[in-house]
Amino acid sequence: MIEDLLQLGTNMIRAPDMLKSPAEIDLEVTPHSVVHTIDKARLLHYTQEDGPTHRIPIVIAYALINRYHILDIHPAKSWIRNLLGQGYDVYLIDWGTPSRMDRYLDFDYYVNVYLDSCIETVCNRASVDSVTLQGYCTGGTVSTIYAALYGSKVKNFVATAPVIDGWKDTTVISNLSKHLEVDKLVDTVGNMPPEFIYYCFSVLKPFEQGIEKYLKLFRNIDNERFVDNFMRVEKWLSDTPPIPGELFREWIKNIYQKNLLIKNRMKIDGQRIDLGNIRMPVFTQIAVGDHLVSPECSMPLHYAIGSEEKTMRIYPTGHVGMIASGLSQKMVLPELGSWLSKKSD
Amino acid sequence: MTYEDKEYKHMATFWSDMLHLMTNKPQAISSAGPFRTMASNSKRISSELIEMNEKMADFNRHMTEYYQQLAETWSEAQKKVNLKVPDIPQDAEHFEAYKRVWIDIFDNDFTELFDSKKFGSNYGMLVSKELDLAKHWNNMADIILKSTNLPTRQEIDEMYQELHTLRRRVADLEAGMRQRRNNVKRRNA
Repeated sequence: MIEDLLQLGTNMIRAPDMLKSPAEIDLEVTPHSVVHTIDKARLLHYTQEDGPTHRIPIVIAYALINRYHILDIHPAKSWIRNLLGQGYDVYLIDWGTPSRMDRYLDFDYYVNVYLDSCIETVCNRASVDSVTLQGYCTGGTVSTIYAALYGSKVKNFVATAPVIDGWKDTTVISNLSKHLEVDKLVDTVGNMPPEFIYYCFSVLKPFEQGIEKYLKLFRNIDNERFVDNFMRVEKWLSDTPPIPGELFREWIKNIYQKNLLIKNRMKIDGQRIDLGNIRMPVFTQIAVGDHLVSPECSMPLHYAIGSEEKTMRIYPTGHVGMIASGLSQKMVLPELGSWLSKKSD
Repeated sequence: MTYEDKEYKHMATFWSDMLHLMTNKPQAISSAGPFRTMASNSKRISSELIEMNEKMADFNRHMTEYYQQLAETWSEAQKKVNLKVPDIPQDAEHFEAYKRVWIDIFDNDFTELFDSKKFGSNYGMLVSKELDLAKHWNNMADIILKSTNLPTRQEIDEMYQELHTLRRRVADLEAGMRQRRNNVKRRNA
């Protein structure tokens, strides 16, 4: 044991010489170009040498917490690269970093302006009338609302760990949200500060995430692959933009406190969102060990939509594991690709 | 609010008002323009400070409760670990097993705490009281900004809201134009 501790100490001393600092790590893995911008949001188009074999492009709406890099965090674990390899034309929305000026951005703006303008752009570029829309986590909620309002522009909908039924959510985040005086918070501070979001994450698995994982890092300091992956994920985790105040207010009130979305009573820009209006083929992906969005929170989407063709898959992994892990490459993505292939030509 | 709190607030407000009244007139005679405004602002700032002091007591109460909950959970979890430890052989090889037990028990107990209603409700109150303090701080900043003829937080927020409405209208116009262009394209095709 003493030997172990001595080795750990030596590794910690060697660490600065062996590891890149997070600032030196570039998280952009797959080449892409920015094909459309609107305010601070950007639409990225991922390029591939051979060109897509499927006609219908995929538009990915990433979550509103942290950044999109997790979908392309490492060549061997890249969601984007895998889809490109399966012959899909892939676009991704980077929501950007809201400043104080953006505190009034709300669900209406994200759905009716940002998402719609990006999907219009993709339709024009690919000469199609509709796309495959994939939404991850909170991006899954925004995409669900879009699919309910703009059915003709969404040919297929993929909901990956979407936040749908706030009352059924069993996570710590849901518990904290239910007791939050969100009006006071938004009126006082404007945008939801990143520090507050860090807090919510750090209470999820405090000892596993706060102690054990760093011990693992120093123990595996000579394992180049492990260290590279660790530092990339760590950089991604620590980089979260603020959430626009009004969007956060609607989010907490309508989803976690009043649970309006699943009751078909949520309104944006005066329009009621009826999940029964989602009639395109839908593929819902759920992680059984998800401690950010519990399976009970996502699953109700499958039963609430009006689609005749719908599939739900539950995977033995967690929230991030579902999109950036060996399992996602071996199981989640091949199943998604095969479900989509007949619907994308 | 306790009797002592009320007494304190009364005394602080009384003396701050009295001092303001006593010093107001000489200041009014000798000052003009911004200095006059600053003199009257000092009263409002001291009121904010008094209110803030009162909220601080509430904030501290919830903060103490927050740390108490963490400390109690820590102690309970440590007791559980101590009960389990005799089952694990005390040698270097089993240190890893001990660590796993420690992490599992602590993670479980703390997750249970963070999931509980008592934690959620106290944490909600703690954030709420912190926001009360921030509000008083903002109010004081606004008083100073106003006296120096700079826009206050409320005025900046109004501007942002106006800007947001304009952006939304421009987006609607752009969407309308896009729609028209697409219709023409379809007709021509």
